[in-house]
Amino acid sequence: MNIYLPIAEMSVNAALLLGLGWAVGFLSGMFGVGGGFLLTPLLIFMGVPSAVAVGTGSMPILASSVSGAIAQYRRRNVDIKMGVILVAGGVVGSLIGVQLMKLLRQAGQFDLFVSLSYVTFLGAVGALMLIESIGTIRKSKSGQTSGRKTRQHSWMHGLPFKMRFHRSKLYISAVPPALIGAFVGFMAAVMGVGGGFVMVPAMIYLLRVPTSVVIGTSLFQIVFVMAVTTFLQSLQNKAVDVVLALLLIVGGVIGALFGAAAGARMKGEQLRFMLAALVLLVCLRIGWDLMITPAEVYSLSPVFGGGG
Amino acid sequence: MLRALISLAIVVLAMPVLAQDTRPSRMGPPRPAAAPAPAVPSPTVEADVSTRTLAVTTGFTGHEIVVFGAIDNSDAPSTGTGYYDVVVVVEGTPFPIVVRRKSDVGGVWVNTSSVTFGSVPSYYAIASTRPIEEIAGPGVLERHAIGMQHIKMTPSARYKGTLKEYELAGFREAVIRLKKKENLYVLEPKDGVTFVGRSLFRATIPLPANVPVGPLVARTYLFHGGEVVSAHIARVTLHRAGIERVVHNFAFIYPASYGLFAVLLAVAAGLLASVYFYRQPG
Repeated sequence: MNIYLPIAEMSVNAALLLGLGWAVGFLSGMFGVGGGFLLTPLLIFMGVPSAVAVGTGSMPILASSVSGAIAQYRRRNVDIKMGVILVAGGVVGSLIGVQLMKLLRQAGQFDLFVSLSYVTFLGAVGALMLIESIGTIRKSKSGQTSGRKTRQHSWMHGLPFKMRFHRSKLYISAVPPALIGAFVGFMAAVMGVGGGFVMVPAMIYLLRVPTSVVIGTSLFQIVFVMAVTTFLQSLQNKAVDVVLALLLIVGGVIGALFGAAAGARMKGEQLRFMLAALVLLVCLRIGWDLMITPAEVYSLSPVFGGGG
Repeated sequence: MLRALISLAIVVLAMPVLAQDTRPSRMGPPRPAAAPAPAVPSPTVEADVSTRTLAVTTGFTGHEIVVFGAIDNSDAPSTGTGYYDVVVVVEGTPFPIVVRRKSDVGGVWVNTSSVTFGSVPSYYAIASTRPIEEIAGPGVLERHAIGMQHIKMTPSARYKGTLKEYELAGFREAVIRLKKKENLYVLEPKDGVTFVGRSLFRATIPLPANVPVGPLVARTYLFHGGEVVSAHIARVTLHRAGIERVVHNFAFIYPASYGLFAVLLAVAAGLLASVYFYRQPG
């Protein structure tokens, strides 16, 4: 059954979109990630205009992070104070990102920027995760336990606006969390991702937030930043297609259930290894498209900023 | 119109034998358009479109329109085709468009140059009784914007002098090539217009699902001896309808409310999912 998407202005198979939502939901349920980094490139491969793919991608992420954040909040795994600072930074980042997106679309460089951002972030995060998971698998085979480094004083402790974060058991400056939040908000706007894959490692390794609190707090941030991003993308870029989003959400919710069940039967480091491989594959695919000689060097687009 | 009538008059006068051959029973009442040609009523073409208004709804997957018409006061000697030629051009609303060209910058393909064309038809389909090159010379086709290479595309003034003519031609060809690929520029096969009997004809024009919404103009030309003898214009309106219209208008006219709605929708979906599916205690 074909359905005409009102904002993307194209006719697509509804079952295909449900299936896509399901597959991304399955993987995100299995690995515990938002899945935006898979969804947005897949939508672009399908022919959805990149701006609409990025703008619409924020809605399924918002939906899945709402249910995730509620579950985490019930388990008291959300550091609200830390979350609020991350959100404040995130909103600023999102504002900058949406504006930049508008300028890049006018200049005709938005697609390139999105591709380069994906290659950079997915490449870096994927490589780090792969190395880490291989290390863990090796260690677990040789029977060693990995001891985390004890807290050490770094340049971060010299920053002003120190605050006490009770749930995270931290006494640190508010500046690094705000900067991390801003960076993730910026990524959310220009890449159509939740940014969990950057925020979680940053909170663990830079801020030393306890692992138990990290997921819930980052989901808390993603909920609010995604809500703001969805709103701004509608307002500034008119790039949110609710029909497309609804199909992806319905597929995603069901997929996430199956994914979570599948993930529960696997070991953490195996999951991380597979996720890393997946992230690197997406990265290579996008990179490949940038490098090979295109079959068509010309492209058409409507004129922006003038009734288009 | 005047030019058509003059050329028609020449054609009629040059062929008195054929003109006399016209049977009076087929002439019908004289038409006002035929007034300047006093001797014989001139052949005129009249046409209409099967669907005058088309609704683009959520279920829109494209539509086929039929342009049909008749030649009045035909002076064709027999039912055989070849005496008259009919060309049907269906054109969408012109829009400004940016064409970008990529080139290799340090191993990565980047958009490096662009040309803005002030108005390019969003859709262009052509159907004819014979290949158009056989029907008329390039001058005539150019004048009536018949044929893809004759689509009127003028680059914005700021490109004057900065780009060479062959470079501009490359951009122009790219528009046609890319639009053809999207099924937005269509050249119907050589028997795109078929005659039903002596003076009735029909042409089927496919509108793809991605046809830009807006009014379409169907121009029908009657050719004889390489010149346009008569022409007729019919219109098709393509408008959004149903949910598709509601959503699109909502998003573009009230973007702030639409944004809020999108946020609430996603949050509601998330809440619903957590209530129904994630109720198991964690």
